[in-house]
Order: sequence, then C-alpha cells, then structure tokens
Amino acid sequence: MRKRELLRLVWQNITQNKFKTVMTSIGIIVGAATIVMVIAIGKGGQMDVADQFKNLNAGAIDISCEGAGKESSSSGRGGFGGFGGGMPGGGFSDGNSSSENSGSGGRMPNGGEMPEGGKMPDMSQMPEGGEMPDMSQMPEGEEMPDMPQMPEGGEMPDMSQVPENGKNSADGESTEGATGKNDSAREASESRENDNSGNRGDRGNRNGNFAMTESTEQEIITLTDEDLTNILAGDVGASEGTISYSTRSSIEGGELEEATTYTIAGVQSNYAQISNLTMAVGEFLTEEANNNKEKSCVLGANIAAEIFGSAIDAYGSILYIDQRIYVVDGVLESMGSVSSGISPDDAVFIPYQTGIKYLVGENADPTITIIADDVEHLDTVITATTELLAEYYPNTEFTYEDAGSKMEAASASNEILTMLLIAMAVIVFIVGGIGIMNVMFVSVKERTNEIGILKAIGCSQKNILLEFLLEAGAISFIGGVLGMLLSLGITPLVRYFDVRVELSLAAFGAALAFAVCTGVIFGFYPAYRASKLVPVEALSAE
Amino acid sequence: MGIIELSNINKYYYMGENALHVLKDVSLTVEKGDYLAILGPSGSGKSTLMNIIGCMDVSDGGEYYLDGESVHNAKEEELTRIRNEKIGFIFQKYHLIPTYNVLQNIVMPLLMRGLTLKEAHEHSMEIIHMLGLSDRIEHKPSELSGGQQQRVAIARALVGEPAILLADEPTGALDKNSGIEVLKLFQRLNDMGNTIVMITHDLGVAEHAKRIVKIVDGELTIQEK
Repeated sequence: MRKRELLRLVWQNITQNKFKTVMTSIGIIVGAATIVMVIAIGKGGQMDVADQFKNLNAGAIDISCEGAGKESSSSGRGGFGGFGGGMPGGGFSDGNSSSENSGSGGRMPNGGEMPEGGKMPDMSQMPEGGEMPDMSQMPEGEEMPDMPQMPEGGEMPDMSQVPENGKNSADGESTEGATGKNDSAREASESRENDNSGNRGDRGNRNGNFAMTESTEQEIITLTDEDLTNILAGDVGASEGTISYSTRSSIEGGELEEATTYTIAGVQSNYAQISNLTMAVGEFLTEEANNNKEKSCVLGANIAAEIFGSAIDAYGSILYIDQRIYVVDGVLESMGSVSSGISPDDAVFIPYQTGIKYLVGENADPTITIIADDVEHLDTVITATTELLAEYYPNTEFTYEDAGSKMEAASASNEILTMLLIAMAVIVFIVGGIGIMNVMFVSVKERTNEIGILKAIGCSQKNILLEFLLEAGAISFIGGVLGMLLSLGITPLVRYFDVRVELSLAAFGAALAFAVCTGVIFGFYPAYRASKLVPVEALSAE
Repeated sequence: MGIIELSNINKYYYMGENALHVLKDVSLTVEKGDYLAILGPSGSGKSTLMNIIGCMDVSDGGEYYLDGESVHNAKEEELTRIRNEKIGFIFQKYHLIPTYNVLQNIVMPLLMRGLTLKEAHEHSMEIIHMLGLSDRIEHKPSELSGGQQQRVAIARALVGEPAILLADEPTGALDKNSGIEVLKLFQRLNDMGNTIVMITHDLGVAEHAKRIVKIVDGELTIQEK
C-alpha cells in the first residue's frame, strides 16, 4: 500500500473523531509544553548567568582573608567564634539610630579570633551598658544576652531563631557556633570581654563546628591598599588591581521619607573600570576624592531612582550617609543583576578612604581584586599571589575567587535545575505515553472488526502495524503542536512572575521530537497486537 | 484442474483435551465459471469450510489448491496476498469500513496492491456504474440502505478481478426484495464468467446456484441440481 494512501486513511481516522484525538493527546500536550518551557527557562537561566557576569572582568581574581577557622584552637574558642560572629557588627554599627542598621556585622569581620595581639575592633561606638544589639541578626531593639552573666550550664542563645534581618554574612551560620556547650559558652563570654573581636560569621561558624583539634593560632588580618600595592609590585602576573569593601548603612535625603539602609561600597577610583561600570551621569569617584577622604558618592541606577526619582535629579544632590552629608558625583547606568559581590545597581559607592574614616573604621573586610594579565593562566597568578602574601602573612589563609569559577558554579546550579525540569518533563511524557497506549488499545479493540475486514481483503500485517503506528504518531504530533501553542500561551504568564523565558526553535523541535517518539513507542504494542489479530476472529468480533 | 481443488480437508477445534472434528475428509472441486451453493444448517461446519476456502483459516491435513496455487502449506504473508488477488469476499453483514466513503471502501483491495486512489477510482468506474453506485461514491456506508451496502460490498469483491467470489449468507441481512436483487446480480455476474461460491442455510437461496453441495456434521454430500 502506498504511504500516501496510508497517510490519507490515517488522517481520515484521526479527523473523524477530533474530540477523541485531542483527549488522547492531552498528556502529550502537557509534556510538549513542559519541554518547551523547561528548555526556555533553562536557557533564560543561562542567559541570566551570562548577564550577571557580563560586568565581570574575565581575568578578575578576588582575594579576601580566609577566616582561619580550621586552625583555630580549643572548643572554647569555637564557641566563641560562633558567637562572635554576631557581635562585631553590632559593636561597630553602634546601634545607632532606630533605623534598621543591620548587617554591618557580617561585613566587618576582621579580627576574628585574634585573641592576642589582634586588632581590636573599635568599641568606642558600642552602646554602653553591655547590651550588645546584634545588628547582624536581631531585630531592632533586641538585647543581646549579657554573656558574662550568663548562667553556667545554660546554652548559648540560639541565634538561628532570631529573625534574619538584612543580608549579613554572619547570619545563620554563626548560630552553630553559638549553640556550643556550656563551657564553650562560658569561655566565649570571657573571650568576648577580652577580645571583643569583630568576628566574621563564617569564621565563627567553622570555629563552632569543629570543636577543634588543632592548636595553631591563625592570624586574621585586614587587607589594606598597601597589600594591593605589594601584590601589584610583586610580579605575580597582574598589573592592575583595586581594593574595595562593602557595608550597610542608613541613608537619608532625596525623596526618602525615613532613613533606609543601603549597601555602601568603599571603592578606589579604578573600580569602575575594573568592574566595567559605565556612568549615566557625572563621573566616577576620583583618586583625589579618595586621597582627601571627600564625602562624595556615586549611586547605582536603582538607588538613584529610589532616592531621587531619576539619575538627572540625583546628580549633584546631597544625601546623608550615616548622618553625614555626601554629594552625588554621578550615577551609574543600569548594569543588571549580578550573582555575587556588589550589585552595582543597588549600591552607593564612596571613596575607599572616606568609608574607612567615617563608616567602617578598622572593621572593614576589604576584598582585593586583581586583574590577571593573561586570562588563560589565572592559576599561576593565584599561586604567585599566594606565595607573595605568605611572605607577609605566614599564618593567614586567603580565599581566591575568579570570575570563571564563579560563573561555573552559577552555571552548574542552573544545569542541575534544568536537569530536574527535564526529568519532570520525561515523567510527564511517560504518563502521556501510557495515556496514548491505553487509548490505542481501546481503539484496536473498537476497530477489531475493521482490522478483520482489512485482513480479509488482503491488507498485510505490516500495513496494519504501520497504520496504527502512524495514527499514534500523528495523534502525538498533534499533541506536540498543541503543546507548543500552549507553551506560547503560558510564556507571558511565566514572565509575569519574573522568570526569564527564552523560547527557541530548538526547544520546539525537541518538544515535537519527544512527542512523536512517545506516541510511536507507546503506540507500538497496541499496533503490534492489532497486526497479529487472527482474521476470522477479528471479523466475528462485534 | 478446477479453480478450487480441495482434497481430504480435515479441521479440528481443540477444547482442552477434546478435539472437535469439524471437517471430515472434505473433497470438493469447483470449475471456472461455476456457481456453487454450499448448503448446511448452523454448526454443520460450513463457516469453517468457507474460512478455509477463503484462506482465512488453515486446515489440519489435506490439500487445497486455489487457481493453481498451493494454499495448504502457504504462510500468512502468502495467504494475505492470495486473499487480495484471488478472492472476492461478500459477507452477510457487508463488513464495510464505516469511516471510509463508498469509493474508498470499493477500491480498498486495489489500494493494497499499491494503486493510488485516483488510479483505483479509474480502474473501478465500470463496476461502480454497473452496480448503480455512481452517485453514491461520496457517501458513508451508514447513509446507504442494506441493499446498497451489499452492492458496495459486491463491488469491493469484484474490483480486484478475483478468481472466485466467496459469498457468506449474502442475503442474510437483507429484506426479501433486496435479497432477490442481489441474487439476480449474482446470476448476471456468473453469466459474465465469474466463479461464485455461496454459503447459505437457506435452500431457497441455494437454489439460485447452478450446483448445490450439502454439508452435515462436517461431511459433504454432493447434490446435483
């Protein structure tokens, strides 16, 4: 039998009962729509990642001081470390104002344990009375349990139950340390009196976690622009670099009705160029402003819009950061979201030295960013830098992060998500396929008599198999097409929920291929059964 | 040699341990141009015999030649081809395919031989005209009367120019007038040289044939008219 005639008959069978065809293909419709959406969302995710990293310089390596948790001593210290994680921010950010001046804690680690000879965080701004608001975590007004008076045998307050407030690197993690046992708690409280160190949360976390076997003291240092100069001068394969830190502080002014907390980034004049930032208005912070510790700032696009309504309005205006007047020197163009580090759209940039002087003091947790000359050999740059820094700080570990590895991590998690969604789509297809199989079985049953007639007048097994297979394939093809249309309908809805969807021809192709394959695979057995029917029995079937 | 040569055909139906001997050493010869009626009550084995003659079932022993081809040891594929080329079936219940129109039903055997619908249509025009179905070819079977449906079935049987027409109770589902019309048509077809084998339980119908054989309990008794 000619394929064309066979197709004609198949088409006739399908169109005779449109309702049944559509009902049969519902599973496939959903499956195909799922596939299209999965691929579109996955692709959207990839493009998101790419966008997030487009501002990142490929050769950029971030160097920050590693919280030397692992090496740090006794369990007592561990407990302390964990606890301390929450403290310093509070200490620093001086519980000032009623505004939610949270979060600084996480940012100003320095010191960590530094029991002896460490740099003492500036306690001058600490509220008197020993009540330390844990700004990093606790809601405003909460009082920190007074550690020295803590009953022995009591447990450390479980910080994890304190509502998270603002983004703070010290957050939840430090709680593990905090839940340490009595002795550690006691020791912690003692230590606190001694050290009062601003300890970065993650360090604390590690301290708390490993109730520690090693006894080497690890030195935690604060990176400075001197370190940057040393690295750049040290022939490590990087000739450009900058140092920056971020903190959070309250801002007033413009159209703000009340003081609001924003991310403040202390940066050098070359930060804009290294981070590929472009100005919408005005100019970026100058070297001069940095050296003179001028109170000027550059606003991210979102912030300018929030505080002043527009970039133009913001330019040249003044605002209050931590109750000090700053002049807006410029506004950045919208850069889009970033996956890590400082999001330029939502940050206020101030000169590095200005921030050190007025905002963070010694508590800064700066990150040095160097640009490798050869993007292909980031490893050697990192190795050279490690060796160089080891000469200055033999007992300190630093963390290195390069753009590529960040991007890989982001892509990897995106891929896992995509795989999960694909698994889901496959399950939908299997269910849809079983649906088709069922309907095809019923169809074969219904049409047994017809199959008998066809066989009696000389239709071969092959043709009958082919007819039913084509029918299943055609039903699922129709389902695939309807599914694609459905996905087009869903897309605006998904976008409405701020999920990036990138429809592609490949996705439609994959959906259609999957749909047809499902139909043919699951339609095969019923078709095979039909082809094997005994003519006499099939004919006598009612 | 006849168009149909059956010799010592046996058929058993197995029901567990028991074998039911349905056809017992049946031998039959049908010459070209013959018009034979096989007459028998229900349960006599006449349907089984028709299925074997129609190559839809195989015998358990014995030999069967149809138009010179050996059928008794043919494989399913062969049987399919023989059914398509040598036999024109006419069933009691017409057995038309409800989703196809009259034309498609009629030309189906030709489509299976690889003709296109257009070629098949041209090829079958004469038969369609002869059976008075020209203005009905776009209709669905359900839109036709019983007599018309049986004529469509007859057209389908004729269209492939088979060696024999095999009719199973062709008038069984028809009213008297339609039945008479069909039998007249058979007479005409036979006069044109077609070989017809008709199976019926109705002596009145069987008497239209040139020759009658009776089957009782699986055994044939030749009865000349």
